[in-house]
Amino acid sequence: MTQTARQAEVIAGRLPPLQVAAARVAATVWQGVHGRRRVGVGDGIWQFRPFVVGDEVRRIDWRKSALADALIVRETEWEAAQTVVLWRDGSPSMQWKSRGADVAKLDRAGLLVLALAALLLRGGERVRLLGSDRQYGGAGGLDRLALDLAGLAAEDGLPTAMAAVPRHARMVLIGDFLAPPEAIAASVGRLASLPAGGHLVQVLDPAEVDLPYRGRVRFTGLEREAPTLVRRVEGLRGAYGARLAAQRASLAAIAAGAGWGCSLHQTDAPPETALLALYLALSDGRGR
Amino acid sequence: MIFVAPWLLLALAGLPVLWWLLRVSPPTPRTEIFPAVRLLAGLPSTEETPAHTPWWLLLLRVVAAGLVIVGLAQPVWRAGADLAGAGRVLLVVDDGWASATDWPRRMTAAGGVLDRAARAGRKVVLLTTATGTSGAAPKLSPTLPPSEVRARLAALRPKPWPVDRAASASALRAAGSAGAVFYIADGLVDADWDVFAAALQVAGTLTVLRADVAPARLLQTPTAEADGFTVHVAQVPRPVAETVGVLAQAGDGRTLARVDAVVPADAGTAKAKLVLPPELRNRLTRLTIEGTASAGGVALLDERFRRRPVGLLAGNAISADTPLTGPLFYVRRALAPYAELRDGDLRTLLARDLSVLVLADRIVSDGAERDALTAWVEKGGLLLRFAGPSTADHPDALLPVQLAAGDRRLGGAMSWSQPAALAPFQPGSAFEGLTIPPDVRINRQVLAAPGAQLSGQTWASLTDGTPLVTQRAVGAGRIVLFHVTANADWSDLPLSGLFVDMLRRLVAQAVGVAGDDAAARLAPVESLDGFGLLGAPPPSASAITGAELAGAVAGAKHPPGFYGPQAGRRALNLANNLPLPVAAPAISGAKLEPLRDASPERELAPWLLATALGLLAIDLLLALRLRGLLSAAVVLLMLAPAARAQPTNPALATHLAFVTSGDSAADALSQAGLFGLSDYVNRRTNADLAEPVGVVPGKSDLSLYPLLYWRVSADTATPPSAAIAALNDFMSHGGIILIDTASGGSSTGFSSGPDPILQRVTAGLAIPPLAALTIQHVLARAFYLLQDFPGRYTGDVVWVQRDQDRSNDSVSPVIIGGNDWASAWAIDGQGRNPYAVIPGGARQRVLAYRFGINLVMYALTGNYKGDQVHVPAILERLGQ
Repeated sequence: MTQTARQAEVIAGRLPPLQVAAARVAATVWQGVHGRRRVGVGDGIWQFRPFVVGDEVRRIDWRKSALADALIVRETEWEAAQTVVLWRDGSPSMQWKSRGADVAKLDRAGLLVLALAALLLRGGERVRLLGSDRQYGGAGGLDRLALDLAGLAAEDGLPTAMAAVPRHARMVLIGDFLAPPEAIAASVGRLASLPAGGHLVQVLDPAEVDLPYRGRVRFTGLEREAPTLVRRVEGLRGAYGARLAAQRASLAAIAAGAGWGCSLHQTDAPPETALLALYLALSDGRGR
Repeated sequence: MIFVAPWLLLALAGLPVLWWLLRVSPPTPRTEIFPAVRLLAGLPSTEETPAHTPWWLLLLRVVAAGLVIVGLAQPVWRAGADLAGAGRVLLVVDDGWASATDWPRRMTAAGGVLDRAARAGRKVVLLTTATGTSGAAPKLSPTLPPSEVRARLAALRPKPWPVDRAASASALRAAGSAGAVFYIADGLVDADWDVFAAALQVAGTLTVLRADVAPARLLQTPTAEADGFTVHVAQVPRPVAETVGVLAQAGDGRTLARVDAVVPADAGTAKAKLVLPPELRNRLTRLTIEGTASAGGVALLDERFRRRPVGLLAGNAISADTPLTGPLFYVRRALAPYAELRDGDLRTLLARDLSVLVLADRIVSDGAERDALTAWVEKGGLLLRFAGPSTADHPDALLPVQLAAGDRRLGGAMSWSQPAALAPFQPGSAFEGLTIPPDVRINRQVLAAPGAQLSGQTWASLTDGTPLVTQRAVGAGRIVLFHVTANADWSDLPLSGLFVDMLRRLVAQAVGVAGDDAAARLAPVESLDGFGLLGAPPPSASAITGAELAGAVAGAKHPPGFYGPQAGRRALNLANNLPLPVAAPAISGAKLEPLRDASPERELAPWLLATALGLLAIDLLLALRLRGLLSAAVVLLMLAPAARAQPTNPALATHLAFVTSGDSAADALSQAGLFGLSDYVNRRTNADLAEPVGVVPGKSDLSLYPLLYWRVSADTATPPSAAIAALNDFMSHGGIILIDTASGGSSTGFSSGPDPILQRVTAGLAIPPLAALTIQHVLARAFYLLQDFPGRYTGDVVWVQRDQDRSNDSVSPVIIGGNDWASAWAIDGQGRNPYAVIPGGARQRVLAYRFGINLVMYALTGNYKGDQVHVPAILERLGQ
């Protein structure tokens, strides 16, 4: 068995539960927002108009034209569907989970992406992955998206590739956003200037929030950061909390500056709450 | 306690520094992976944590360091005194036979001396006082470091001969003066002792290491007695009486008898009588002193102590062995269990070695016959004569006493006297101590002419004083005359048990025979080493003549042991011609040290260093624990045994199987054969067979196998009832057993062939009526169309079930043949066929494999192909 095939098998073995979990999470949220009347988005809207000189011949609906006297041209508002571009941070720091935590940040982020995609696809939206050229839609879209999501290369902590992002798309960026605020601001600003609306979700491990270590500890990062020796971790907890709050504040400021939303999710919290908040934020944004 | 390197102890002063260093250097921090490390970087450290190593860990490390320092200083517990003087040390070791008894103690003592010399950094000269096994006289070794002397001592073995004090003394004088002299003495004195002691005294400051009393004992050559041996033990006189056990051992090392000799206090010798029946006595090869391993404690016994050939000769050779009346009839029965009896005429008998010659009323003619007999007796032969009518009428010269003419009758119709009884045996007689049955009567005897020496020559007499047995020593031998016949004509004596005892005494007293050719050179065959074990002779050993052997003293040239060819083997014992051991006096001015079982010195360094290593190992574990790297899981992982591979489940693949026979060669052949067949089947057909399996019917689950190969030979054990039941069950549920007698038509001619074996082995099996396998049978067309069914052999009839049994899909449960298919199928590790087919040819091999494939197909598919048999009928029906 070749190496690739083995990897594919591993990935395939890992995907279905993720996908199922995503579908389950999405179903609970769907019921919650079911009462909303959806504005006419999707394939159902047709417009027929008489042929005018200059229209392409192949756009003539010959069946309609046979019923009438004049030539009828069929037009579809295919641009009407909203495109949501999803991105989740695949950097090594996302693959970490603290001692006692159940899931890694990466798994939770992937779950959120898939669940959101399931919701969106069910609503008839188009979904794209940042970093992938494909656009997903319809019934089989979720499967292909799940495959492509697992196949995405690990990258740095911030989104870079934006070749296929359509204008006025909505973006959902899920990551830990522990990078320096300037880098985040630059990355978000680049995306916002496309222009695109969006939402940031910061996924953090509980240990990253609480800093539960004691004594003398040498901390090493996962992305080539210089190790830091802390003589007494207990004494640093307050200062660290302040710094984390500052980081979050600057993240919120960046999002607000771009007109984006921002939310926080901890991996020990249920994913449904985060998904619901995210979905509502997206709906509101679209309604605006 | 002393320290070999005491200056190293100065390093102990550094321990407080080490304590301080360990205390100020914090322990290695735990390492944690943390993605948000950027947020932590540069945070002001609010308070200093006590990053100190715990005090108990500190103490552990300092103690370990202290142990290392003290251990490297090499402390020695109970060290001996320093060596006297300066310069080299002279070590003199007695390695003669007398040292073997307590050799390990001597080597321990010598090792102790070397330890002290090594500590003082002095070199050592070694002198061993016995002649070496190469024949070299004692001489000084070069001046060597103690380690090399230790190697020489390790190779040193006690010699099976005495020490050479004269040569040692001259070597000592040549050595000049040494600082200190150590003499490990065997405690015995000999002719050159004074010279040797004087040379030792001048050599340097002398220390003598010796046991209080020399422990060496000498087992001297035993003297043969009529009913055994007298053993003699010699030793240095000791203040208390001691009991010395002497073992009589056979050639294979078994002890046949044991006797205790009690050495009285202050006496040097003891003797004890070892009583042995002759049949045991003839099997003895050596006597040893119990409990000591020394050449001095071994007396080898050669042929002279054993073989007593007795020649029998009667006056009238024709009637000699007539039952109940013949003159040799009783003698032969009396001696046959105890001695080797020979017959023949006189010249034939004397041509070979002979201990005893029995002449029953046979006259020795003058001239050559008498001369030959006289010469033989003078060499040590025992001439045993019985009187009789001829002797009474014509007494010859070879009689112990002069006979009065005629014979004397006691009792009878014409006599007033009564038959006489035997008088008790006199002291000094060879028969002393034998019990005389009261009913033995002498009717008739020849009378000795009265003479002054007659009473001294008489060994047995009648109650009236007339001699019955007289004897005379002639040279080294003896002539003995029974004054009665050897049959019951003249007396009841041959009918009594006393006769047997008397003859045995006489024969036992005779000199044993050995190769008495005094001039022949006898090569050393086996010799004793210093510990009294027989082995190859040392290089110095050389041949010795029989004459020299008697007076030889064992030495490097002639080590104690066996000499000469197998037929006439002679023993040279260490104790031969060796003076009794005498204790050596103390040397004036010498310091005495006793020999001890173990050196009192103890090197403490290894123990200290080992303890330090152990402490450091504990420290390592503790450090890992403190850093959070050691969890219970890791420990368990280290301790957990490797998981074992599960045996494959035989139900997961199709295996061919064979019945194991317990004979590994036959099983390997069956295995190789089925392996070859499986391989061929896998290559040629769609069937996928796994490795063949050996099964034990009754224990293995046979239901997993479609086909059992059972190789039956004459060695095959009759299967137990459980196995029979399992095989019957196997057959009744569709299994097939191929029984291969591998006999290839051997039942032709006189050979009974495999049929009896088959009957025996398959006695309990439910074998249906059989018929010969024909080409119409499904087995002949299950895959290939076969005309015959060869294996290694060809042409043998193959038997299958005669009747079709529909319940079993018409499959024959048993196939019996003798073509040895496994050998034809077998392939070895290189894929070759190790067994040639007979008569041969690649075609036969291919046909054998094809039969195998048909068999496997038959086993796997039943009579599926049997339908083909009906194809003509079906076609015909279709055509209608």
